[in-house]
Amino acid sequence: MAAQTLRPLILICDDELPLRELVKAVLGDGYRYVEAEDVDQAQKVLKESKPEAIVLDVMLPGKSGLEFLSELRAKRRNNAIPVVVVSAWQSADDQRTALNAGADAFVGKPFDPKDLASVVESLIAA
Amino acid sequence: MIAVSTLGAAAIGATLALFFVANARLKSANTASARSATVSAAAFDVRAAVVAIDVALQQVVEEYDSKNLAQWRRASRSWEAPATALERAAAASNDRQERRARALRDEIRSYIDDYGEPVVGIAKVSPAAVRSSVAHTEGTIRLDQIVTDTDAVARNSAVIAADRSGAAGRLADQATIAGIVALVLTPVLLILLGLWLARVVADPLRQTVAAASEVAAGNFDVRLNERRRDEFGELAHVFNAMTDSLSVSRSELIERADSLERSERHKSELISMVSHEVRTPLASVLGFTRLLLERDLPEADRLRYLGIVDAEATRLAALVSDFLDARLIEEGRFSLRREPFDLRSLVREQAEVTLGHDESHELELELPDRPLEIDGDRARLAQVVGNVLSNAVKYSPDGGTITVGAAEDHGHARVWIADQGTGIPPEHRSQLFQPFYRGDAAAAGIPGTGLGLAVSRRIVEAHDGRIGFDPLDRGTRFWFDLPLEAEAAANGRR
Repeated sequence: MAAQTLRPLILICDDELPLRELVKAVLGDGYRYVEAEDVDQAQKVLKESKPEAIVLDVMLPGKSGLEFLSELRAKRRNNAIPVVVVSAWQSADDQRTALNAGADAFVGKPFDPKDLASVVESLIAA
Repeated sequence: MIAVSTLGAAAIGATLALFFVANARLKSANTASARSATVSAAAFDVRAAVVAIDVALQQVVEEYDSKNLAQWRRASRSWEAPATALERAAAASNDRQERRARALRDEIRSYIDDYGEPVVGIAKVSPAAVRSSVAHTEGTIRLDQIVTDTDAVARNSAVIAADRSGAAGRLADQATIAGIVALVLTPVLLILLGLWLARVVADPLRQTVAAASEVAAGNFDVRLNERRRDEFGELAHVFNAMTDSLSVSRSELIERADSLERSERHKSELISMVSHEVRTPLASVLGFTRLLLERDLPEADRLRYLGIVDAEATRLAALVSDFLDARLIEEGRFSLRREPFDLRSLVREQAEVTLGHDESHELELELPDRPLEIDGDRARLAQVVGNVLSNAVKYSPDGGTITVGAAEDHGHARVWIADQGTGIPPEHRSQLFQPFYRGDAAAAGIPGTGLGLAVSRRIVEAHDGRIGFDPLDRGTRFWFDLPLEAEAAANGRR
């Protein structure tokens, strides 16, 4: 059971339930997951725990994922958490905006399961 | 222009007329001179004849014989012809001269009849008596008078001729002065006419040319002065009408181009929005499919993932068909399946479906006790209520109360949906029902196609209804009116 507690915690923030399910299925049993439907829930999660990585959607009801990311990077306590932005908005401009806001990686929707898995693995390993 | 030309022509005509009159007067003066000469000659003849009478009478008195008597008889007759000639010549001058000549004739005849003949008669019987001084003095007085009167006729005739000639000369002088004045005035008038023509014709022409060049260069705001009441005023009026209509056409074209540009922008926003909307379920479908193909999953997981794929693929299909449907309705290519139904229950249903699971919004229903029977397409009207409700949710991200109501209002059924959201900025209000118009929604990351309200308006208007909105202190109230079934039936009968 000790090995279980060592599994890295990942925050998945997406308003679409099927997408959250997909991310969990893609990344598999090697991680623990905590889910949030919007920015408010994500912030609540961050107060209670310290995830090893965040998989973040951009278009969320209320505050956008990028606003959340900017605020996160402004706070000292959580600014080291690696963030993968996953978005259907995936033009060069959209990717640049996400990276400028503080994203460590960008994955467009739809994505190849292997790509997302390797991006998350490399970010946690680093 | 015409006034000045007329003035010039009148001046030249008056000068010429003066010349004609002066010429006529000169001619008349010449005639008077000729007549005067004739009168003088005739007077001379008369005078000679009278002298001849006197001589013959003296000879008869000196010596009464047949030779001298014959001489007297001849002389007392030979004055008639010159006297007649004098009378005729004098008559040509004027009445007074004619009267004078006639009086002279009477005087001569009286001299012969009343003095000459009695003297001859007395001389026959008593020559000594007639030689007396008394008789002789009477004859001399009479004769002197006749000579004086004859001279008077000739003199008067000369005076008349001189008068006429003097008047003619003065008129000729005046005509000459008028001619000189006309000679000086005509070039001055011509110069003035030229200047006037330049002002009246050349200036407006120049202005028209300048204005036309402006128009050619694209300035349709140029206007000509329409104050003049001549052909140029008319030209200015027509010119201004032309620039007005050009200006209107151009602004219409600009407006149309702007509207096309707006529509294009909305369409491109729509395309990116649709691709986003499509990509989200597509990501699930593709992602799970790939997992199912690549990984050896437990049966339970496999079934769960297939369920998700099915649901998301179904959602994708619905999305595409909704979008096509919206396009058809927006283009007016749809028909209504009318049936009588209670609008109140439809509103309640839609409100509960849309807001039943929404935890951030409070639903407040304001529905009447009695049903609102209308004749319409239930599914399409459900779409309208659903569109407006989903807008109310989307545009009040901070939650709040959403009030959904319906009531009978002046023969119509009115439905309203009010939110406490962000409201509609004034600059977006006029465009709200335009297809693909989304205001600042795209920038704010609010999903949608910009077709919902455009489609809703089409559907409401197809039901002979109206749709609109009222900005509130906080949020917006959308409403639509539909004819109640009784009204609709009455309209149908008409």
